[in-house]
Amino acid sequence: MKKFSRLLALLCIAALASAAAATARPSSPSGSSAASALNCKSTLKIAFLTPLTGDAGFLGTEQMSWAKYAVKTLQGKYGLKIQLLGGDTQLDASLASSLAQKYVADPKVVAILGPSTSGAVAATSQTLYAAGLAHISPSATRTSLTKGTNREATPGFFRVVPDDSVQGPTDARFMAKNLKAKKVVLIDAQEPYSVGLADATQATLKSLGVTTIRESVNVSQSDFSSIVTKVPSDTDIVFAPFQQPPKAQTLAQQLIEQGKKAKVFGGDGTNDSDKFKVPGSYVSNFAGPIDSIPYDKAIIAGWKKDNPGATLGSFGPPAYGAAQVAMAAISKACAAGHGKLASRKAVIKQVKSVQIKNWILGGSFRFSSKTNDPFNGRFTIFQIQSDGKYKVVA
Amino acid sequence: MDDFIQYTINALTLGSVYALIALGYSLVYGILKLLNFAHGDVFMVGAYIGFGMLNLLGGATSPVVPVWLLLTIMVATAMAGCAVIGVAIERFAYRPLRDAPRIAPLISALGVSFFLTYSMQLLFGAEQRDYNAFSLDNGVLFLKGFDIGNVRVPLLRIVIISSAFVLMIALWLLVNRTRTGKAMRATSFDREAAAMMGIDIDRVIRFAFVLGSALAGAAGVMFALRAPASVTIGFVAGLKGFTAAVIGGIGSIPGAMVGGLMLGFAESFTQGYVSTRWSDLAVFTILILFMLFRPQGLFGRADIRKV
Repeated sequence: MKKFSRLLALLCIAALASAAAATARPSSPSGSSAASALNCKSTLKIAFLTPLTGDAGFLGTEQMSWAKYAVKTLQGKYGLKIQLLGGDTQLDASLASSLAQKYVADPKVVAILGPSTSGAVAATSQTLYAAGLAHISPSATRTSLTKGTNREATPGFFRVVPDDSVQGPTDARFMAKNLKAKKVVLIDAQEPYSVGLADATQATLKSLGVTTIRESVNVSQSDFSSIVTKVPSDTDIVFAPFQQPPKAQTLAQQLIEQGKKAKVFGGDGTNDSDKFKVPGSYVSNFAGPIDSIPYDKAIIAGWKKDNPGATLGSFGPPAYGAAQVAMAAISKACAAGHGKLASRKAVIKQVKSVQIKNWILGGSFRFSSKTNDPFNGRFTIFQIQSDGKYKVVA
Repeated sequence: MDDFIQYTINALTLGSVYALIALGYSLVYGILKLLNFAHGDVFMVGAYIGFGMLNLLGGATSPVVPVWLLLTIMVATAMAGCAVIGVAIERFAYRPLRDAPRIAPLISALGVSFFLTYSMQLLFGAEQRDYNAFSLDNGVLFLKGFDIGNVRVPLLRIVIISSAFVLMIALWLLVNRTRTGKAMRATSFDREAAAMMGIDIDRVIRFAFVLGSALAGAAGVMFALRAPASVTIGFVAGLKGFTAAVIGGIGSIPGAMVGGLMLGFAESFTQGYVSTRWSDLAVFTILILFMLFRPQGLFGRADIRKV
């Protein structure tokens, strides 16, 4: 038994060391490492830093499938030959850091998609920017990455979806003004996306005079029975900024099971009409239903053909958009260099000026002149109908 | 009082699942002195087998058999499938290393764990899957049941708790009242002496894996009936099951049952009365306290070292 105790103690120490490594931040940038000029006719590489396995593996695999489809269908339009690399961050910031170093060392890598999660952006942005690599995220929404006095990301970071400072207040105002909510329970999943969005929503709710109660669950928790028991019976809304739609579904079902009248309000991470469909619930998303956008129909059909059996989620289409922005910027940089890509930084210079008509999420796309966020980003709110369909309500 | 009753029901539901997982750890450790770290992943495979069977039988919205039969078939096939996997794991990952230093089968167990996780991801993808049990018979499993005061005890929780107790009692009877059980106990006590008495050790070990894995399969289905499942659920569930086994006294069957239930109560009541943020901390603090002050657990035997 003593040997067993020692073994267990060693395992505990290893787990602590691993946790410490995960929270480690890279040191400040040590200068630029511009790649030598590349011929734009040669195959250039774009790497995608996203969780392909682990708890958020669903997110990365969905995003990767859309990025692949974008590269496959758009590289010709932009006059490029692109090889897309997949770097599996496993939701681990230290692993994302190692992968960033790996791609920095490959001179053929000229842009990065992602990192997909805010924690990974904070951990890699300095490394990537020091090497001149633009990194364009389809899903990192933490506000402090691009806004505020202590910005966590560098000027090389861009995102194609609006941040939590847009989503949180939008959701909160809808709860307070449209739903006349008096009491809201907010449950975060103890990870950056979820905590950031819950913070932003709670702040606005408080300013609007709504009583808020804050709870947290472990990111791997999927049975919410005890937290549901804690939800006061006069609660109007349970706000659930989770990254997995089935969790919002389970939460809503367990509220009904325990006879609670509160409705679930999910963030963009729960937007999936196949997996979250408890009638009466609400969902917000950075885009309206893209399957109702005429020019998206062919894109969706093509993607479905390449990914038989896959369902249309909310995280994938922005990855298509991010890949499109990256290719457009590379193409512009190549044009400016007369067929040569002088350096990776030439791509960063062009990202900000990219404009795309027929944006996959609807309308047209360009970046804000003040930050590296999308111009005029807004969120749409849906209510789930009795047949499970999503109806736009704001 | 209503909240207390509800937390107790939550604890029993959760604890029953942990206890079934813990039993698998204890059975294997009791006989082989091996920490089968792949056990949590067998639990995950059980959840997926249940999902496959549910789809084969028409899915939650339009099942082709009555709900009670559907649940029975799902649990039975998950138990059978996991038993086969357990036998395969023992045969190919552990038996060749039976006489190797103890670290070798431990590493092999971790390898099997990763193998199962990533094989399942390759086959079925990384996204979470939901049985959608709420749709079975218009929510009968969640909305019907009996009341204790103002608290409804839904049918599904009754099914999960009672099935888990039936399985645990059946296992206890098997180990304590049958010839095979006697052979298992003898092997656990002294493998070499048991072999000299004519007990087929390989058969006993194989049987322990069959039982442990079958229970994990049943636990997988019970878990997934209430919560979404993904290929990664085995890690945390396995860790909790292992913790329950250690608290109860690893190698002890009643210990695994009590340890699982204790863990369920610790988690549920910490979430309810302290903070949801603290529940895992509470669970693993209990584990550390046991390791420090009673490393043999509640029902385990202390090591006797002869000098």
